[in-house]
Amino acid sequence: MFIDHWQLTIEKWLLFLFEGADIEVKKNRLIIGIIIGLGFMALPLFIEGYWIRVASSIFMYAIITGALNIIAGFAGYAAFGNIVFFGIGAYTTAMLMLRVGFPWWSGVMVGGVLAAIFAVLVGLPILRLRGHYFAIATLGINRAVEQIALDWGRFTGGGKGITLPLPQMEIQNFYAMIYFIMFGLLLLTILANFLIARGRLGYALRAIRDNEDAAEASGIFAPTCKVIAWTISAFLTGLTGGVFAYWFSFIEPATAFDIMIAVKAFVMMMLGGAGTVFGPILGAFLLELISETVWGQFLTLHMLILGIIVVGVVIFIPRGILELFRKKISLASLIRNVRNQSI
Amino acid sequence: MILALQILLNGIFLGAIYANIAVGFSLAWGVMDVINVAHGTMIVIGSFVTFFLFKFVGLDPFLSIPFSMFILFLIGYSTQKFLLNFVVKVGVFLSLILTFGLDLVLINVILLIFTGDYRSVTPSYSGTNFQLGTLNIPYIRLATLGICILLTAALQLYLTKTRTGNAIRATSQNRQAAEIVGVNVARVYSITLAISAALAGACGSLISMVQSFTPFEGGFFIMKAFIICVLGGLGNVLGAIIGGLILGIVETMGARLLGTGFQEAISAIIMILVLIFMPKGIVGSKYK
Repeated sequence: MFIDHWQLTIEKWLLFLFEGADIEVKKNRLIIGIIIGLGFMALPLFIEGYWIRVASSIFMYAIITGALNIIAGFAGYAAFGNIVFFGIGAYTTAMLMLRVGFPWWSGVMVGGVLAAIFAVLVGLPILRLRGHYFAIATLGINRAVEQIALDWGRFTGGGKGITLPLPQMEIQNFYAMIYFIMFGLLLLTILANFLIARGRLGYALRAIRDNEDAAEASGIFAPTCKVIAWTISAFLTGLTGGVFAYWFSFIEPATAFDIMIAVKAFVMMMLGGAGTVFGPILGAFLLELISETVWGQFLTLHMLILGIIVVGVVIFIPRGILELFRKKISLASLIRNVRNQSI
Repeated sequence: MILALQILLNGIFLGAIYANIAVGFSLAWGVMDVINVAHGTMIVIGSFVTFFLFKFVGLDPFLSIPFSMFILFLIGYSTQKFLLNFVVKVGVFLSLILTFGLDLVLINVILLIFTGDYRSVTPSYSGTNFQLGTLNIPYIRLATLGICILLTAALQLYLTKTRTGNAIRATSQNRQAAEIVGVNVARVYSITLAISAALAGACGSLISMVQSFTPFEGGFFIMKAFIICVLGGLGNVLGAIIGGLILGIVETMGARLLGTGFQEAISAIIMILVLIFMPKGIVGSKYK
């Protein structure tokens, strides 16, 4: 059954997934979007140094969150270990640049492709697991790959980490370049989310999220849809990991496979609204901006405040901020949210 | 031969602690379908309670077990009552993330109170042992094994013989049906997490005598608990014990035969393979 489906060519698959996608957008929304986009393009003219780097890291989180949204938001599969693709992208880029002498961009591309291939290989067996079991399996995979990167010291540098070749250009230009690359990747992520949300794949994934058995009964081939969604998610995360490695020019297993990044991405997704196109991006912008500006003052309490925000978000606005904007915001609606969920 | 026996014995001692880590975790998971990611940090809290009582009151670590159990019982009860009960119905996602948030809060509260230094509890008899034939048996490890057996037996008795225990098992099997026959599900859930946390507290007290610890140790315990629950099968006291013993023996043997490198990668891979090929674990099935 599986084999039949994979015999379709990639072209046919793409056609199958996105044909009939309703890509019409309301005119004023499109105009607002273009204005915001141009604003971000022009931003490096006005800010520099520290704030350019802050903006790039916000973009990075937005990409990771957007990519996570494809598997966790649309399909409802809690891929807690999604950060493993980030690490794979980062380490592939580092290895190719150092040991083979690739230019950085081809290293990043290969990293993204490798992450995608890894997602297919791992996804075929473990995407059959549901609920908690899938979440734990992804955590386990992240752990296993991190340990391999740690213990295989001769090749990966082990726990001491690994230093990449430094970029041969002026540091200001380098940061501006990273800014634009991250911005480009963010646009790609938004495009992927948009196409999925409007196209056939998105409908299939949402059906799987709501009731997988019913979805399969009505003719959705769930395994393939899930694997494709995870592959897209892995590809985007892998690319970001590669760019991250080039940007910081130093990686170690503890940062490249940091489970906290995945958890933060989850919180951002929930904060903005899981399963929407712009919700996760908005959530990432909000949380990163708050974390950079306000919590910079309270270094020791930083994580404590993050924890409290996580708990508050889950209890009061489990469907995200976008949902609040759609309806009227009021204390009563928050309390109703709480009451509807409690036993 | 003697060496093999000694390794097996060490594996059993380690496995007893592992089983103790997993029993409470598995209880919450099996009954409520809540993965309590903060369970590891609850164990750490137990360790710090023992550390505090040992250092500032001079209480024997074994005598501090009831105190850490009591404190964590309260923490677990209020966590469930005031936080988790609001999201437990909605499903996997929310409760997992909520406990992640709670984990961060707990870690940082411990960090504020005790700072991030390595701590250890060293009573006068730590490190001493007696000889049985040619086998070395440390006193603390033996007592730990005894207490682990005692606690799991008490839990099993509680679940099967008391009224509340029966209600917990009924709720685990079918929440709606339990509600229909008059079980107060919200209260049963609160008690379940309270017991689970109390077991974590006892476990923390025991672990504090065996190894040094920091506020950040929780993640390590959670990973072990995951592996054990998956190995032994979920929501089952026996499953946690068997899974814990297997993991303990395998790790001790593996460390002897292969060295300690790659050990964690191997146990993570074993977990994934068991998940794929034997999703119900070795014992399987819920509380019956």
